[in-house]
Amino acid sequence: MEAPETSGSNRPTMLQPTSWCHPANRVHRFFALLLMCFLCFGSYFCYDTPGALADNFKDDSHLNTSQFALLYSIYSWPNVVLCFIGGYLVDRYFGVRLGTVIYMTIVFIGAVIFAFGVYINAFWLMILGRFVFGIGGESLQVVVNNYVVLWFKGKELNMVFGLQLSFSRFGSTVNFWVMEPVYRWVSTYYGGYERLGVTLFLASLTCFVSLICGVILGWMDYRAEKILGRQDEQSNSEPFHLTDIRHFKSVFWLLSVICVAYYLAIFPFIALGKLFFERKFDFLPQEANNVNSMVYLLSAALSPFFGILIDKTGRNMTWVIISIVTTIGAHFMLAFTFFNPYIGVISLGISYSLLASGLWPLVALIVPENQLGTAYGICQAVQNMGLATVIIFAGMIVDKYGYLMLEMFFLGCLFVSLIAAVLIYIIDSANNGVLNMSPSMRESTKSTVTRTDETAHLLDNEDFTDQEETDSRRPSDATQDHMSINPRDTAQAQSDRIRSRYLAQILPNSNNSERE
Amino acid sequence: MHLQTLLIVFVLSFACGQDRRIIPKLNPGCDNCGKSTTLLYIRADGSQDTVHQLWDFTRGMPTIIYVISKLNTSLTINWRFNEPMEFKLSEKPLYSFAVSIDKLTEYNDIENNGYIDNRCPQRALSLRDMEWTRGNTVLDNTEAMVHMRGKFGEENQHGVIDMKLDLLPFKDYAVDLPHLIHTANSTLVDVSLVNLTSSPDYNASRFALHFTIVSTDANNENMSYSMRKSLDDEHTPGVFEIFEIRTPKSSRSDDGGFIQFRPVSYTEQERSVSSSTNAYISNFTWTTIPKTSTLRMFYEEFEKANLLVQDMFISFGLPGDGFYRQHNYTSWSFTIGYGIPPVESFSLFVIIIISIGLGVPILLALSGITFVIVRRCKQRNPPTRFTDDE
Repeated sequence: MEAPETSGSNRPTMLQPTSWCHPANRVHRFFALLLMCFLCFGSYFCYDTPGALADNFKDDSHLNTSQFALLYSIYSWPNVVLCFIGGYLVDRYFGVRLGTVIYMTIVFIGAVIFAFGVYINAFWLMILGRFVFGIGGESLQVVVNNYVVLWFKGKELNMVFGLQLSFSRFGSTVNFWVMEPVYRWVSTYYGGYERLGVTLFLASLTCFVSLICGVILGWMDYRAEKILGRQDEQSNSEPFHLTDIRHFKSVFWLLSVICVAYYLAIFPFIALGKLFFERKFDFLPQEANNVNSMVYLLSAALSPFFGILIDKTGRNMTWVIISIVTTIGAHFMLAFTFFNPYIGVISLGISYSLLASGLWPLVALIVPENQLGTAYGICQAVQNMGLATVIIFAGMIVDKYGYLMLEMFFLGCLFVSLIAAVLIYIIDSANNGVLNMSPSMRESTKSTVTRTDETAHLLDNEDFTDQEETDSRRPSDATQDHMSINPRDTAQAQSDRIRSRYLAQILPNSNNSERE
Repeated sequence: MHLQTLLIVFVLSFACGQDRRIIPKLNPGCDNCGKSTTLLYIRADGSQDTVHQLWDFTRGMPTIIYVISKLNTSLTINWRFNEPMEFKLSEKPLYSFAVSIDKLTEYNDIENNGYIDNRCPQRALSLRDMEWTRGNTVLDNTEAMVHMRGKFGEENQHGVIDMKLDLLPFKDYAVDLPHLIHTANSTLVDVSLVNLTSSPDYNASRFALHFTIVSTDANNENMSYSMRKSLDDEHTPGVFEIFEIRTPKSSRSDDGGFIQFRPVSYTEQERSVSSSTNAYISNFTWTTIPKTSTLRMFYEEFEKANLLVQDMFISFGLPGDGFYRQHNYTSWSFTIGYGIPPVESFSLFVIIIISIGLGVPILLALSGITFVIVRRCKQRNPPTRFTDDE
């Protein structure tokens, strides 16, 4: 899932840096950004078509609730593994450009199969379509993240990831706005399940548009590579085998424990939160939705800033422990008081964004460069698996033992992650504490490493605030520094997306309210 | 708040811990009572007083009467055929209160609020002519339980009202949702409205139970009801509120009568969170004891000025739930009792998780900090002979 890096040694002279056609030009880059956003638009859009047409699916295709839920879970479950394999394949075989086109094609085919399944009202074909769609969808996200890293690393990377995150919400929102009118228009020409099928065929056109974007982007990237003399470094680096996983340090496994346990206390909570706020705090459904969405809003807004904060201060483990403790406090408040839940949820949102910014770069400090993709893949996969099972489990807890017990479960998870964090802190302190150093300390420990790599970024070095931050990140540890920023954001953005999809599956009601 | 709750629980477990010895009797003193007559008299002797309970179905309206008296007071019932005519206590009672479901009210919930209010068109059906048959019955020293099934006397009203009254003389959570707390002083009552026919001219028909509540308090006083929110929904998932109706004496000094319930009812026989719907209580109004009722027989001797009689509705439903006809079933539970209403407490499990959860990380953190400090101290002040060669 890692982007190939430039060595920077043979950067050619710029041809016409002022022309907007030049890949180094800011306008040119933002045109590429637009394409990247639309590259994902199709899959985001089609992902939520069943949600937007939920009533029609039930009336026209006569699906019951569990069949309907299967349309979503058939997407999620395979991706517990596939997002990891997809990234690995891109790293080792496809490369970014081909990978994008391949995955986008799979997404498009999946969407068409699904529409066809609805058109002839064959449930198994719908499921197959969603499955194929899912295979492409998550891996597509991984490649697009690679694109983003390739084009924006050392520049507007945080902002771009933020924008991608916003765009994912935008894609499904547009879907909720548009599908209903489209359906009504189609139903003047067709009837029964055929009109639903035709509507979905129209929706799958967005995937086709995305595919075209992917091809254009591929061409632009090819051109940029030629002009800027970017080279694939992959061939030089020693290939990494999956069996090397067993050599990962124990600290890495403790980190994955935090990845799983901490996130279990956030996302299932959001999934089940709406009713909790309604029941315990007597909120109206709309208010409850508002509170519930605070975590996403805050993380979308704050993540880049916390990223900068941690870039400046270092001491990741301290930040991680602080945010876990804050989260425990927030959950305690929600469980054992009747204080306004906004207080609890806002502190939850803040601590969650802080943790996300502090935790993911740690992997880069622990795991060697050529194994990073796999390492992040493992974190992702276990996390997704945890979430997929626990969301069901959490629902059972609520039905059987109530929300207090659910909160107890979340607190239990948080305690586990706190223990893991404290253990990492101790182990790390015993080994001279690389993980918890400030940037200056990191610099002084390894002053021998030259900083030449630092300045050699993929594209040209327009002076931009982000540049400084990346440079001051871990100047000592240049090679790792390269890796640390992009996988963090890659993984984070990706996991956010997966998660928002879980939510859509669990809470069709929240979708309805969005539609209004 | 939290501490206070714990404290109350602690005190309560002492106060209510005294379990009572119960002696239930079916139709005591009635020679020609058959299967169709049910009057249960349960005498529960404590250490200081005796609680007499009468569960009466003989005159159609389900009635529960509590009498608190000194120890060794006896109650005798005189019958005429299969109807109780006179209740005689050997000593003047200390306190008495009673609850009777005297009417079933059907209301047309045009605005789809769920609850009954005065603007709803409504039709009351007296339960005076209900015919109750007795089902499962347990009568021993450890439990008094009776299942009753009531059929309507009127031709055009089909369906049944099922009731279950259960007295378990110790403090515990009930087996079924909403897991109310029963004590030696309180009886658990389930009411189910099964397959009732709705009036054809009501298209938004719901049913409400009409209660008459009597207590030996001054008749210018008021029953009070309060809603308490608890943090703990462990026993009633998703429901944080508890409603308590208290007689004036109970509000004053905690030794009167109370009714406790959760604002939740169920639309399916198999009670679960997914089949739950709301239960609402209306305001109290002053009223008189229904004519030809066991309540009237019982409270005849009491002074009018010292007898508080009020009524209220309990109604069921949620906006947009498809009204009663959607499931043709509603069941609801409450407890009625004497003394301090029981308060739910955090279960052992919750307390264990919190203490482990807080304890282990703190221990780890402390030991970790000590470890790091000790290590650093050692590094800063290394033994001199090793540093010589630097």
